[in-house]
Amino acid sequence: MSERDRIDKKSDEHRKSIEPSREEQLSLLQTITMEVAAAKDLSSALEVVLRRVCETTGWVLGQAWVPNQDGTVLDCGPAWFCAEADLKEFRAASEGSHFVPGTGIPGCVWKSKQPVWIQDVTLEGNFPRNKVAAEVGLKGAVGIPILTGDEVIAVIEFFVHESRAEDERLVKVITAVAAQLDLVMVRKRAEEELARSNEILQSILSNMGDAVIVADKEGKFLVFNPAAERMFGGDATQTSSSEWLHHYGLYLPDRVTPFPDDQLPLTRSIRGEEVNNVEIFVRHDKAPNGLWTRVNGRPLRGSNGELLGGVIVCRDITQIKEEEFFRAGQSHLLEMIAASAPLADVLTSLVLLLEGQADGLRCSVLLLSDDGKHVRHGAAPNLPEAYVKAVDGLPIGPRVGSCGTAMYLRKPVVVTDVLTDPLWSDYRALAESCGLRACWSTPILSPQGEVLGSFAMYHQETRGPHPEEMRLTEIGTHIAGIAIERQRALEALRESEARISLAAESADLAFWVLYPEQNSAWMSEKGRAMYGFTPHEPLTRGSFVSRIHPDERAAVQAAFEQARASQQTFEIEHRIVLPYGKTRWVITRGRCLWDEDGNVLEIICVTIDLSAQKQSDLELQVQREELAHLSRIALIGEMTASLGHELNQPLTAIANNAAAARRFFDRGQIDPAILKQLLADIAAASHRAGEVINGIRGMARKGKSTRSSLNLNALIADTLRLVRSDILIRETVVVTDFDSGLPDVEAAPVQIQQVLLNLIMNALDAVQALPPAERRIIISTRSLKGKSAEVSVRDFGTGLPADRAEKVFDHFFSTKAEGMGMGLTIARSIVEAHAGRLGAEDAEGGGARFFFHLPAAQRLSISKAA
Amino acid sequence: MTPIEKPDAKIVCLVDDDPAVRKSIEQLLVSDGFSVRSFDKAKSFLTHAQAHPVALVVLDIWMEEMSGLEVQVNLSALSPGTRVIIITGRQDPRAKLTALHLGVIAFFTKPFDGDQFLSAVRGALAMQVK
Repeated sequence: MSERDRIDKKSDEHRKSIEPSREEQLSLLQTITMEVAAAKDLSSALEVVLRRVCETTGWVLGQAWVPNQDGTVLDCGPAWFCAEADLKEFRAASEGSHFVPGTGIPGCVWKSKQPVWIQDVTLEGNFPRNKVAAEVGLKGAVGIPILTGDEVIAVIEFFVHESRAEDERLVKVITAVAAQLDLVMVRKRAEEELARSNEILQSILSNMGDAVIVADKEGKFLVFNPAAERMFGGDATQTSSSEWLHHYGLYLPDRVTPFPDDQLPLTRSIRGEEVNNVEIFVRHDKAPNGLWTRVNGRPLRGSNGELLGGVIVCRDITQIKEEEFFRAGQSHLLEMIAASAPLADVLTSLVLLLEGQADGLRCSVLLLSDDGKHVRHGAAPNLPEAYVKAVDGLPIGPRVGSCGTAMYLRKPVVVTDVLTDPLWSDYRALAESCGLRACWSTPILSPQGEVLGSFAMYHQETRGPHPEEMRLTEIGTHIAGIAIERQRALEALRESEARISLAAESADLAFWVLYPEQNSAWMSEKGRAMYGFTPHEPLTRGSFVSRIHPDERAAVQAAFEQARASQQTFEIEHRIVLPYGKTRWVITRGRCLWDEDGNVLEIICVTIDLSAQKQSDLELQVQREELAHLSRIALIGEMTASLGHELNQPLTAIANNAAAARRFFDRGQIDPAILKQLLADIAAASHRAGEVINGIRGMARKGKSTRSSLNLNALIADTLRLVRSDILIRETVVVTDFDSGLPDVEAAPVQIQQVLLNLIMNALDAVQALPPAERRIIISTRSLKGKSAEVSVRDFGTGLPADRAEKVFDHFFSTKAEGMGMGLTIARSIVEAHAGRLGAEDAEGGGARFFFHLPAAQRLSISKAA
Repeated sequence: MTPIEKPDAKIVCLVDDDPAVRKSIEQLLVSDGFSVRSFDKAKSFLTHAQAHPVALVVLDIWMEEMSGLEVQVNLSALSPGTRVIIITGRQDPRAKLTALHLGVIAFFTKPFDGDQFLSAVRGALAMQVK
């Protein structure tokens, strides 16, 4: 600083204010540092520095220069400060300038990385803007580098009107400010980097197809990307995960059972579990037709391993699942066919499966009649009934719609508009009234090329088949062909079997044939019942061996082998063991058939049931009370439907009333009267649940029962209430016919209830084979001259065993697969212990009637223990 | 085909012959802002469905006279657009399969979670009628 400048400064008030004191400079430094720290980017930080320096130190123009992208040229930055309006011309000139290293103030500063002070730019040779500077009257200038490490990230320059000698102190202050700028910029850059990487992360999250959901350990959502919103619905972030999950339908893979809350992947991952490939079916108002998602979840842990929350990634696998279902559906159809399911069921399932693959598609299968000239209804679950009925029985021919023509011509027929196509001229009105517009049909051919039927697709608009539909047609005709062929083969087989069976049934024998080559067997219906096989289960040699009592298995096998070797007939007496352990004595006689080469073709056997004779040999030494109790427990087991149902009803009412009350509260609009009602309903339902439990407890209680005077009508009504649901589920009607003059009896209620339950459950079983409309049971009471009371339970089943009605009371006699064969024996012993009688007879008009008599109670008698 | 009147998407039909259960479900639905039309008999519901469009019905399975599944079968002919939610008092895989086959939207075994039930109701009402 020169002597003259010092004098000037003292003489000039203005100069005094622009030459800041040390305190002012420190304050400037502090102000700038704070403001720069608050600046959002380099450009606004530069602007702060330029303005503050000019305002405090009297420089009239401040500008910034920043290197261009490839670092070869300095460009004029957007940040500048100008105290006077007439300097704009110079600013404009600067904006149009670029400096290479070493040129002008910015270039010199850039190159030297040192401040550059010029007393008068108009006299300076290396100052390309000196002409404009002279025009606007700028002379003094200083340029300061802003360095990051060794790199110049910007150059700032300041100008004043008068020529100004170098002021070292000022340069230092501005350099110090610039250094602040550098520190701030480093931080800003790091922040910008972070923001950019966040932006990248956000962009990945926004654009990825998988849903990503992150929640903290309280279940509050931290990340819920757009795919997640698409998958699970929006506005999720406003709620916590535990609450939110209730608002969306999340189901188990069966698509209808709600997903258990505590098993949801997010919940599990928040709990610290790893979750792999959990499939969830989602349905909510934004995805009303549902979608499938496969979810993987991981817990989120902090650096020290503490649990912070959980993250799940969900992939939409709807398409994959749909294909999977379609394939599974096809396999299922083939299984149905293999298991000889009724043809109508197979075809209906086939049509439904295919219809599910395309929107608005309706399909049908028609069969060709045995005479080969008419169409017969096959399956068309979604075509109007009127249409289906009208088509059934039409003759096939060259102009009979799509199907009749396809069967006639033995080739596919595509009709894109039934209203104009001549093939449909006779059926236009019918199709129109049913809303059908396009129909294409393909004949179903047997492997021999014989027409079995046709497979058709219908649409409600005019159009031809899409390639996807051609593929479906191929699958449809293929599977329908297999099903129809199989049905025909089965019918032929059944006819021949039926003839043999008829002979065997009438002889009351089990008749069976073993085919050793194929390891398969055929058995008459009677035989299946005797051996405990279900009517359709496939039989092998193993099936028979498994039924032979282990003690005699070797002997029977030996008899078989001997018969095979010696080509003679054999006969052996042995026991068979039915599922659930029941045994039965039988005699089996058999012989082998050979072909010319001496190979065994089949072994034909006849089995006779000897149980009736053998059973009487068995002696049972079991305490009656103990047995009665066991049997009661078994009865409770049989009544599971009723008990579960009867308990679940009041529990449901309680749960729903409580949930409703909570919701009313949540919505802040609870009417005290409603609340009172909800609470009263909860109390009533609880009471009802208690009653049910008391009933079970009474039945299950072990030990002696106390006798008392009883009204049997009331006891029957109570008992029927207990099995209400079983009666419902078995779709049976129970009619009661009570004698109001029935005398009371002296009896143990629990035991008589047991007898009643036995008879009722048996009657329910007896009518089960009937069509639902015919399942009827009549329970009646009558007074026998006032001396005893009779209760009768009459069913409309097949009646008592033909050979010996009394057999039903024998130990271990059971017609039921799961029966112990003890119920009626015990029931009889209970009634007899009450000085009564339990009997059975075939009822007039079909079915069986079980009845018991109990002596009338003597009035004023004192209760005594049984 | 006859043009179909559009059903009110805020009305839920409910068929259950147990008065306590029926009333509690009504309250639950009302608490979430739905209107409920309740029926104690399957037949009276079917009569209603013949004359009025029904968007959604909640059916109990085991009822006197006619089971919920039979109602579903009848309904699929009578009003194919009606969506069905089944509730049942017992675990019953066979009934569930049948219901699935008939196109049930959700299947609840009593007692059930009220929130899940309501979310199924909302989801069902949002479904497009095919």
